Amino acid sequence: MPEIVLETHALRRSFGEFTAVDNLHLVVERQQFYGFLGPNGAGKSTTIKMLTGLLRPTSGEIRILGRDLEKDSVEVKRRIGVVPEGLALFERLTGTQLLNFSARMYGLDRNTAAQRTKELLEFMDLADAGDKLVADYSHGMQKKTALAAAVIHGPEILFLDEPFEGVDAIAATTLKRLLQRFISRGGTVFLTSHVLEVVERLCTHIGIIQNGRLVAGGALDELRAGVKISGHDQSPLTLEEIFLQVVGGARQAEESLSWL
Amino acid sequence: MAVSGKTAPLLLLLQVRWQLFVNSLRRQNRRIELLVQSVGIFFAALFVLGAGFGFFFGTFEGLRSSQPWILGMLLWVVFLAWQFTPILFEGYSPGLNFREIARYPVSFPLYFVLHCVYGLSDPAALASLWWMLCLWLGVLFARPAWSLPAAGILAAFALFNVFCNRLLIGLLERFQSTRKGRERMAVILLALMVTPQLIQMIGITRMNALMPGKTLLFKVAALNRLSPPGSVFAAITGTGGEQLAAALLLFGYLGVAALLLRRQARAVYLGELHSDGSKAHRELKAEPGWKIPGFDEIISAVIEKEFRYLRQNARLLLQLVYPLVIFALLFSGRGALRKGFPAAGQGSTAMLGMMAGFLLLGVANMAYNIFGLDREGFGRWLLAPVKLQKILLAKNLAQASLFVAMYAIVASLLLAISHLPWLPFAGITVSFITVLVVQFGAGNLFSVWWPKKVDLSQMSSRTVSPAAGLASMLVILPVGMIVGSVLMASYFLEIPWLPLAAGLVLLAIIIRLYFYSLDRAARYIQEHMEEIEQTLSK
Repeated sequence: MPEIVLETHALRRSFGEFTAVDNLHLVVERQQFYGFLGPNGAGKSTTIKMLTGLLRPTSGEIRILGRDLEKDSVEVKRRIGVVPEGLALFERLTGTQLLNFSARMYGLDRNTAAQRTKELLEFMDLADAGDKLVADYSHGMQKKTALAAAVIHGPEILFLDEPFEGVDAIAATTLKRLLQRFISRGGTVFLTSHVLEVVERLCTHIGIIQNGRLVAGGALDELRAGVKISGHDQSPLTLEEIFLQVVGGARQAEESLSWL
Repeated sequence: MAVSGKTAPLLLLLQVRWQLFVNSLRRQNRRIELLVQSVGIFFAALFVLGAGFGFFFGTFEGLRSSQPWILGMLLWVVFLAWQFTPILFEGYSPGLNFREIARYPVSFPLYFVLHCVYGLSDPAALASLWWMLCLWLGVLFARPAWSLPAAGILAAFALFNVFCNRLLIGLLERFQSTRKGRERMAVILLALMVTPQLIQMIGITRMNALMPGKTLLFKVAALNRLSPPGSVFAAITGTGGEQLAAALLLFGYLGVAALLLRRQARAVYLGELHSDGSKAHRELKAEPGWKIPGFDEIISAVIEKEFRYLRQNARLLLQLVYPLVIFALLFSGRGALRKGFPAAGQGSTAMLGMMAGFLLLGVANMAYNIFGLDREGFGRWLLAPVKLQKILLAKNLAQASLFVAMYAIVASLLLAISHLPWLPFAGITVSFITVLVVQFGAGNLFSVWWPKKVDLSQMSSRTVSPAAGLASMLVILPVGMIVGSVLMASYFLEIPWLPLAAGLVLLAIIIRLYFYSLDRAARYIQEHMEEIEQTLSK
């Protein structure tokens, strides 16, 4: 039976009277590439923040790698890697210093930290910029640095919030290569993204959230089988078609702006 | 409010500035900050209004009693307030990045006008304008015949001040935008800070001796005629050709300032941007991080990160080192300064105590906003598999070590040159460490209750939030009272060992309280992590 590495039960987060995430039940198994989708403001980032310890849930339970996140947060954090929404980088360090620092915060010794820093900078094609301040990096370079910082300690699960946003095609290819390699070695990826083509190509499982509630979830083929669109031909539904069907579709043309 | 017509961009700009100010007051759970800010604004307004009456009566009396130099002095006050207050208090009023205006479809002449009007809407400029009006009213009532030309001269002076101030701010922004620029500015500021002490050190009498026949003051007074406030003064109070020459000089200054500002604004309008750039290096080196003896990898890594950040904050380093510079000047000074630096006995004890207090005053700049420079990086502390107490402790250790090092330098020098009695020395050292622990313990709490984003590339002069700044004073006050009481008791009861004994007892208590503060601060972060992260990153 596949090992469940991430599980939430009745997860809820409110901000005053607004409920961003409501009664969320998620189950992710080892080596799954889980894409968490939803329209803007649906609750994706709030969920990923709660799963990684960046935001306290109002109620509900989160279990990661069999441990309760609230009670055992330090041990859970030791075994996960995160690329959060704002990247959370110390921009006044150089790329090399930042990766070195991140590795040591996860308890790696100085020499291992330095060795992995070097390897990651080369892999990410950042070797030339290793001694530049992160503040001087382009957005794509910062994304790659954040991903390098997330994997430097060899995590078991990766949480990535919009990893492909603002990243060029070359960098995106590097990121995809790294993620596929991570999965093939027994890792699990939980990502949010608006780039549905990438999600469709990479992810084995999908969860769609809307208004804070999980409205669809499962393997991509299961979703295809579960969604019916009237008038659609026999070809398999794309993820975009499934997504639009599930979240309510595009606006009508007559709703367009009067001056455009 | 919708605006239209030719004045629309101007009104919009003023509206935006007002909205920025109002929005800066709309912070959740920041009632105390709001209160502190409101009290500050109230007293500042009271001061500006009150000073206006002083300007009026000063000018009036000065001109009536044939002491016109008062007017000259007041013009200098206006000039300095207008030029330097916006720089010193830039962080206290929400500003607009004027570079953004160039993105909109505005012509360069309009952009230039907006640039100047924006400068005029600065609180310091408004205060200076009010003082100039009071000054002019003083002229009107004392010498009605002078009032008309004075109005023209003062208007030109106001315009010159606007140009000059915008030029100065533009230059400083350019300096601030690069690391090298910030370092250069820190050196200039240091030079300005120590200039009075340097003059004292060299000795005014010696300087006068270098310029026989004339005193320094006399020479400076002669040069004053060539300065912008001096030329305004001469243009108002002078006669005939002198008056005309002074007016021409003022308009010359105005023209030069306008040309320079135009050049600077044009470059910004066309998209000039100064930022750090560095050459890419082919050879990648990833040296192992620091290993601090006696500490584990995590604490060593945090201390290394803190020091790397501190190294880039030249202005903060300058503030921290300032007491040491003063000490060095006292140490090597002459004249009145040297007299205040006794070499032995009670005097050296007092000097060590004074320097310890001086050093401790700088602690709040760092300890009361320990996450301020981390900004977006704050989230990384939350993601790390480390207890927040340990992170806070490591940050405190890094910062406190600077103060301990500076204290050690001062104490070593004093020990080397004087017979510092060991009992007061030990007492002062223990008290210094105790107050340091108090400051960092309290600072941890105030850092998380009222965090503030610090941007090194902006001219913001504040390293802590207003509420945390006030809190630091409220902390240091009772601490100072306790220290004072112990010293007085020791003196009057003739118990020389009392400060040391009391210091040790207090230190034991304070260390326990410090660890309690770590727990409280960590718990607060857990409960308000998103709020803190938002404050630090946006």
